[in-house]
Amino acid sequence: MLGVGAGGPDGAGAGLPGAPPNATHAGVPARDRDALAVLLSVHGLGPMTLGRLVDVAGSPAAVLDIAQRQSAAGELIEASRARDGAGQPITDAVAAAIVEAAGNAGAILGEVERLDIRVVAAADRDYPRRLLAIDVPPPALFVRGSLESLASRHVVAVVGTRHPSPTGRRLANRIGAALARAGATVVSGLAVGIDGAAHAAVLAQRGNTVAFIGGGHARLYPRAHERLADAIVDAGGAVVSEYAPRVEPTKGTFPQRNRLISGAADAVVVVEAGARSGALVTASWALEQGRECFLVPGPIDAPASAGCNGFLRDWHDLARIVSGVPQLLDDLGLLGSAGLPASRRPGEGGSAGRSKVRLPSASAVLSGRSAAEIAVAEALVHGAVTVDEIVAVTRMSVGAVLGAVTRLEVLGLVLAAHGRYEPAGPLAAANPVAA
Amino acid sequence: MLATLLSATLVALDGRVIRVEVDVAPGLPGFTIVGLGDASIREARERVRGALRNSGFVHPPRRITVNLAPADVPKTGSAADLAIAIGILIGSEQFTARAGRAAMIGEVSLGGEIRPVPGLLPMVAALARRGVRRVIVPADGADEARLIGGLEIVAAATVAEAVDALRSRRRAAPTPPARVELAPDGAGSATPAVPALTETMAVPDLADVRGQVEARRALEVAMAGGHGLLMIGPPGTGKTMLARTIPGLLPQLSDDESLAATIVASVSGEGPLRALVRTPPFRAPHHTSSYAAIVGGGRALTPGEVTRADGGVLFLDELTEFSRDVLEALRQPLEDGRVSIVRASGAATLPARFQLVAATNPCPCGHSGDEDRCRCPLGVPDRYVGRISGPLRDRIDVWVTLARMKAAAMVAGPDPEASSVVATRIAAARAIQKARLGGRLNSRISGRALRTIAQLRPITARRLSDLADGERLSGRGTERLLRVARTVADLGGADAVEIEHLEEAARWRPPSSRPNVALAV
Repeated sequence: MLGVGAGGPDGAGAGLPGAPPNATHAGVPARDRDALAVLLSVHGLGPMTLGRLVDVAGSPAAVLDIAQRQSAAGELIEASRARDGAGQPITDAVAAAIVEAAGNAGAILGEVERLDIRVVAAADRDYPRRLLAIDVPPPALFVRGSLESLASRHVVAVVGTRHPSPTGRRLANRIGAALARAGATVVSGLAVGIDGAAHAAVLAQRGNTVAFIGGGHARLYPRAHERLADAIVDAGGAVVSEYAPRVEPTKGTFPQRNRLISGAADAVVVVEAGARSGALVTASWALEQGRECFLVPGPIDAPASAGCNGFLRDWHDLARIVSGVPQLLDDLGLLGSAGLPASRRPGEGGSAGRSKVRLPSASAVLSGRSAAEIAVAEALVHGAVTVDEIVAVTRMSVGAVLGAVTRLEVLGLVLAAHGRYEPAGPLAAANPVAA
Repeated sequence: MLATLLSATLVALDGRVIRVEVDVAPGLPGFTIVGLGDASIREARERVRGALRNSGFVHPPRRITVNLAPADVPKTGSAADLAIAIGILIGSEQFTARAGRAAMIGEVSLGGEIRPVPGLLPMVAALARRGVRRVIVPADGADEARLIGGLEIVAAATVAEAVDALRSRRRAAPTPPARVELAPDGAGSATPAVPALTETMAVPDLADVRGQVEARRALEVAMAGGHGLLMIGPPGTGKTMLARTIPGLLPQLSDDESLAATIVASVSGEGPLRALVRTPPFRAPHHTSSYAAIVGGGRALTPGEVTRADGGVLFLDELTEFSRDVLEALRQPLEDGRVSIVRASGAATLPARFQLVAATNPCPCGHSGDEDRCRCPLGVPDRYVGRISGPLRDRIDVWVTLARMKAAAMVAGPDPEASSVVATRIAAARAIQKARLGGRLNSRISGRALRTIAQLRPITARRLSDLADGERLSGRGTERLLRVARTVADLGGADAVEIEHLEEAARWRPPSSRPNVALAV
């Protein structure tokens, strides 16, 4: 057994240049955290193997110490053999990559610092506790923003296809907004489509949301959501990756990442998923990890719902169905805190038909807005869909209606798609009758 | 004996004077044409031979050599037929021409009739610039030729008539006044001796288009500012119908524009024209049109649709179905207002200052957004409109999405406005723009000049940057928003761009710049 325990916290090889003294986290010495960041940037070194290496060497920093010695590669390969003989030892290429990374430690850590990323190790206090309970938790997370919201009492993942139907987009918007208003943290994957709609809906409610991305921070994907990522961080949420900044997102990284989306949450809601959507991978992870798994059903001939419907059929004993937004909140135990006073809890008493939830009126949602905006919002809540219909109801000029729609859209209260306009956010939950 | 006459040919949109030298000499019978002529010029031999024989003249069994000078100008078309025929008659001494060097333009038929040729107007203009006093033109094209003032136009229907005109001692006809003076302020068209050029296609009236108030408004804004317009919507929502109303919405052309449009119409073979073209051209090429048909080209550097739409509107229905090359080729004209064509036979830069109006389905099946009907595979609708490349999208200021209307909305509701009402507002808004610095339409203004004419108050400027931030607009996107807002303000008669104008203009942005949900501001 070579190099076991070499270099404790004060051991040799302390020269990791550029490593900031990271004293804010309790739990893990700064050297180890830095060493993790360096080791995680090695291509081909996964969390399992890294775990064995650390286990044998004693600490991440110790692994790096080995890598900086003369015959480092051989020692690393030897160290990667698990004590109980399980698992494959690392290959020469990986060993060489570790040695190279060790030599590059300064540059790697410099980049982490430059991108304003924190490295949060599994032993750190703000490492999400839900993630510790999954099978292979990442040894460390690369975090932009604050992980505090992942410690919230309710964390719900909302995921779905990158190519949603307008209904799917609207539902993601409504569900995200409702969860945010109920005080839950919404976790998703920053993808275009359902994920992005959910993140954005939460932000529009000034709620907390966390995005797990499938590549390094320096390779943010999709690029179209760079601004969304910034907004999430600015709003007090976080963009999180288990990969070092320069790791490219690939076909393989996204399914791996999906286990974090489900693992960081108590429940997963799949809004729309095609037959082969990655959102189904997240749903499977959820079941495997013992998380609640909700799926929004769709018409049986709708391609965008084929995955959800199929999953509900295949896992009818475990997967749960979303029959309405208030019902979802109820199933999640969120209705009491939803800000929607329930005259009667839906679902109780057996008969689903008797569920009743009192919803706020459109004008309550719109207090303080201009008369034109209220008029247009009322028209939308009452079912007007096109500008023609809004004009017919409000008798406003086309120009005035269009201006009001823009203002409502900026407020996150209207969603425009395909020449139609629909209430969004809190307005989507507004009650037409009481208006 | 040698005969020398003047004629003309076309190089792109310009007429060029050519000298037709015909030498009829003893020797083995033969007929040779030299001087960079194309296939249609070589075929002139056969036409001329037949025309002479069937007009009662003799095609001399001698050695005939025709030289078209200057030798470096490529000659195309059949406009020199008549000059060649007359040259042979003079060269073989079948008649004696009087009164100096004559100029003539026209194609001859085997039966000896003289037929009109495309581009008569610029060719006559070229002869006039050369100081020619008298031109023989096809009888059918006489009206078109007379649009050029200051020279005697002799209309001849047959070769025999042309010979008579040349043989007579007196002038065949007193110099008729030009039908339409080009210089005065368009008063010439007030009492049209001949009806103005009628549109080949019936122009529908906006009063016939029910519903779609959002798209109607977008159309009005686009026409008022000369902005590029893209209409996205399922089939049957009225995209094409709305576009077809455009000729009824635009103001008449000014004199300069009118002359330019008339020349293009003449060269494009829309003639023979009877009067100046006063209505802005509206060109609607089919999406299967070739690159050369859209851009122009061929040996004769024939103007393409982009040039034929100069000063007017180019309507591309089913935009995404046009070939990629064609769409890419639109970039230069959209940017510079002209198109450069380079061919082996030469290069030309033609005007192409058109307003782009386009329509497309939202997806291949056309029903995206209508979940019961759209059967496109997932992701396909997203990619469909994405086929429009970035540079092209950047040059479309006004985007509007049309939804299928409910039948009730089509029947009920107030009667829609007629084209004439909307046209009045558009004309007023355009007049405001013309009166401003530069006299250009808002669509042609950018950068500092745009900021100047926008006259933003600080609070409005703030709103602009908020909207731009919220929509993640690029610098160009922000400019586009401001440009359209300027037009909305012009339609409302406002001096400065106000918040309400910005907010309306914000609706006309490309759908892709909309995030899933707008972020809270």
